[in-house]
Amino acid sequence: MNSFEQINIGDTLGPLELFVSKDQCRAYAKTMGMGEGAGRFTDDEAARKEGLPGMILPGNMSLGLLSKLVTDWIGSSNAWLTRMSTTYRVPVQPDRTITIHGFVTNKNPEDRTTEIDVWMENEESERLVTGTATVEFRK
Amino acid sequence: MAVNYDPALINKVFEITEPVEVKAEKIKRYCAALGETNPIYTDAEAAKKGPYGGIVAPPSFAVTFRNGRHFFENVPRFGLRGFDAGKDVEFVAPIRPGDQVTLSSHVKEIYEKTGRTGTMVFVVIRSTLKNQNDQVLAHIDHRFMNRP
Repeated sequence: MNSFEQINIGDTLGPLELFVSKDQCRAYAKTMGMGEGAGRFTDDEAARKEGLPGMILPGNMSLGLLSKLVTDWIGSSNAWLTRMSTTYRVPVQPDRTITIHGFVTNKNPEDRTTEIDVWMENEESERLVTGTATVEFRK
Repeated sequence: MAVNYDPALINKVFEITEPVEVKAEKIKRYCAALGETNPIYTDAEAAKKGPYGGIVAPPSFAVTFRNGRHFFENVPRFGLRGFDAGKDVEFVAPIRPGDQVTLSSHVKEIYEKTGRTGTMVFVVIRSTLKNQNDQVLAHIDHRFMNRP
């Protein structure tokens, strides 16, 4: 558990190493009710027809995983993730190891917020998804 | 190249979706798909003692509400290939089971960028999520990228 006072610029979150299987990716797409047009998230062949290397993770799933890194860090603190911003740079492929990182870039005592850079990397340390998060610590 | 579009599109609210009820079961399946195990999202007893006094959805659940047909009919397209370039989400209030969620959406901005790989056109659609009490739950800016 983190308190606002204990946090310092430069603190790291994670890294969280994950192996997202194709079945997990399909389960996410199914849970979200993604229907037609979701082939790129469920089927290698359909994805290749769209010029992709194979199945990819939905962008929203990456956003969910980056948010989870931050909410895990918040833990049971009285804090709230107020903002998450993502940029999908490179398609994220399932059945590979991905690593999610975070880094505190700013701390504002006036409104008790922290700014955090978050990103997802593949095994080649290529940044697939980048983002920023804001966490507000309440008294 | 300059992008041609109807300027009346900007700020025009083109959709308010039918309410969708948030079910605890769907939150549970969402958590399972993401590997989320925090009991405040799934266990009523544990959640009661948590900061929200009951089960809430993980913040990112806000992006799972789907826009309807009108959304896609009104998103301007400037090329053959378009894809999701990113999102900016402001989480205003927790989403709880039983909430009846509606989305209202409008075109926020359209702009061009020229990068290493050529010209790209970005269309930003803002959706606002509200519950049955007219309480704002989240604002979501969807950034779509098109290659002319």
